[in-house]
Amino acid sequence: MRILIVEDEMRLAENMARSFRESSGYAVDIANDGEDGLFMAQSNPYDAVLLDLMLPRMDGVAVLRAIRATHQHTPVLVLTARDEKESIVSLLNAGADDYLTKPFDLGELLARVKALIRRGKGQGSPVLKVGDLQINTVDRTVQRNRKPIVLTAMEYRVLEYLAHRPRAVVSKTELLEHLYDYNWEKFSNVIEVYISGLRRKLNKGASAQLIHTYRGQGYVLQQ
Amino acid sequence: MVLSQALLALGLVFTGVFYTHRRLQASLDANLKARAMGIAALVRYPEDSKQGLIFESSLIPPKDLSSGDLFEITAEGPGLIAQSPGWPQNLDFSPSGKRIQNTKIRGIPYRVLRLTNVPILDREEGVSSLPSTLTVTYATPKVEMNLQVLRAGVYIALASLVFLGGTVVLALWGIRRGLLPLQHLASQAAQVSAQHWEFQPPAEAELVAELKPLTGAMQTMLHRLHQSFEQQRHFLGNAAHELKTPVAILKSTMQSLLQKPRTSPEYQAGLSQSLEDVERLEKLLQWMLRLARAEQWAYGTLERKLEPIDLTSTCEGAIEGIRGLASARRAEIQLNAEDGVVCRADPEDLELVWINLLENAVRYSPAGTRVSVNVGRTDHKARVIVEDQGPGIPADELPLVFERFHRGESSRNRETGGFGLGLAIAKALVEAYGGTITPESAVGKGTRMIVDLPLSSS
Repeated sequence: MRILIVEDEMRLAENMARSFRESSGYAVDIANDGEDGLFMAQSNPYDAVLLDLMLPRMDGVAVLRAIRATHQHTPVLVLTARDEKESIVSLLNAGADDYLTKPFDLGELLARVKALIRRGKGQGSPVLKVGDLQINTVDRTVQRNRKPIVLTAMEYRVLEYLAHRPRAVVSKTELLEHLYDYNWEKFSNVIEVYISGLRRKLNKGASAQLIHTYRGQGYVLQQ
Repeated sequence: MVLSQALLALGLVFTGVFYTHRRLQASLDANLKARAMGIAALVRYPEDSKQGLIFESSLIPPKDLSSGDLFEITAEGPGLIAQSPGWPQNLDFSPSGKRIQNTKIRGIPYRVLRLTNVPILDREEGVSSLPSTLTVTYATPKVEMNLQVLRAGVYIALASLVFLGGTVVLALWGIRRGLLPLQHLASQAAQVSAQHWEFQPPAEAELVAELKPLTGAMQTMLHRLHQSFEQQRHFLGNAAHELKTPVAILKSTMQSLLQKPRTSPEYQAGLSQSLEDVERLEKLLQWMLRLARAEQWAYGTLERKLEPIDLTSTCEGAIEGIRGLASARRAEIQLNAEDGVVCRADPEDLELVWINLLENAVRYSPAGTRVSVNVGRTDHKARVIVEDQGPGIPADELPLVFERFHRGESSRNRETGGFGLGLAIAKALVEAYGGTITPESAVGKGTRMIVDLPLSSS
């Protein structure tokens, strides 16, 4: 998963980013003002956007409206220092999916963002199931036939992304865009390396293939 | 009021009774005299001169006697001539006193008239052996008259009572009607609360001249209260709001530090970051308190005693105060001061103003730049100009620089370290001392902050 944090307090943004990277394995981009934030949100397919309201150059509400005006459905969680009812109502009406008031709890922020991403991809439960495969997105564990499977961080991220969209064809480009943040050089052949590693670990002691390759199009996770 | 009404009515009853009594007594007395004369007329001379005076008792009007009248007729010489039946032997009548007296006969109050020298009507000339005048004493009971007086008293009292009741009802109605505007005013005033400050005196209260000073005073008082209340609320809201971001930063630093076991250098870095955050928070708090105080001064809700101070010395203090930052940014600060520019202010406040302006100038200018401070006079005002050679502020952003938590372009670099509060503080402080602060800027050339303060007269 890849998220965008639009927050002008550099220290706060870095702390949030570190948390997402460490505890969820998300790729995180940071924008320090509204204009950068809007540009980045519109030019990259983020799985969620965290938006501060008081921003230099362009305030958070304007960014939110601009994002929604281009028919982007990316879940947006607003970080606000105000907790008056009216401003929250108007935020939600402007297209925000959720909000947190500052100062907030990092654990709560992580949980809310995870839930937003899940719901944004049509998943209800934090435990994703594809056939006999179970992926717990809370503690990031994977089981097949109730036997735990140990994955590397990158392998897990690839699998989690695929499991959020079961039975859909996911291209290498899409995977790259959602697994790496801005600062990474993206090479599509690394995806092939992760996929083959995943296949090997998932198929151990199991009969059915779970990850299918559609040549020239991408991958599908299904039993 | 009811009491005075009652007293009035009582007086009315007394006067009425007294007057009635007087009138009735006068009429009784006239009647008494007429009857006495009538009785005296019944005395006549005899045909035969040897006989004494004759009293024609059969001609007494029966009506008079049946009403309890008593009489006695005497004459000098023969003495008693006639006496009504039941005439008391010991009549309490002082001969030397008034002609008409009140007395009691067998326990009944009587009015008694004694007429002396009443001529005998059919007196004949030559019969000189008989007296020619009579003394008539006539008494009539006062019961009737007393009853009449009592009746009159009751009538007057009843009439007064009705009148009194009517007056009370009328007065109450009148008072209530008269006080109606005041009541409306009170109910309007009762609706004023911390949530609802609007107070529109009712139209009828506006029409009453006596209420005008009251409604005016209420409006002025409410306006002032509202202003001061709003100011407090505004500050409280702002303060709480402005504290949230630094607290959020601090909290996130600590939480992300605790997220998993870390190495000792990581903890150290995290702790020193937290300390920095706390120091920023501390500074913010101090500034906010100072701002609150300055705003209270500006609104006159806080009294202050101010000494005249030399502006140049406060500028020197401020330059000294940011020496650290200036040398880090290799900025040169130049002070050009006119002598004896004196204002009334708290020197610490003014120093904070200059520090904030200087910090802003130094931070947002390229390293190795020059910042100048000019102290002088203009139009009876003290003028301090802080000028930098920085990138300048675009015209559309210029009015925003004093807004709290506004940060310009270059402030995206958090190394600048402010919370966007410095210029807001400077402005509030300057305005608290009755001064103005005006920014002038040209993009690419630099920014001038012009502060005008009232000169101290001494």
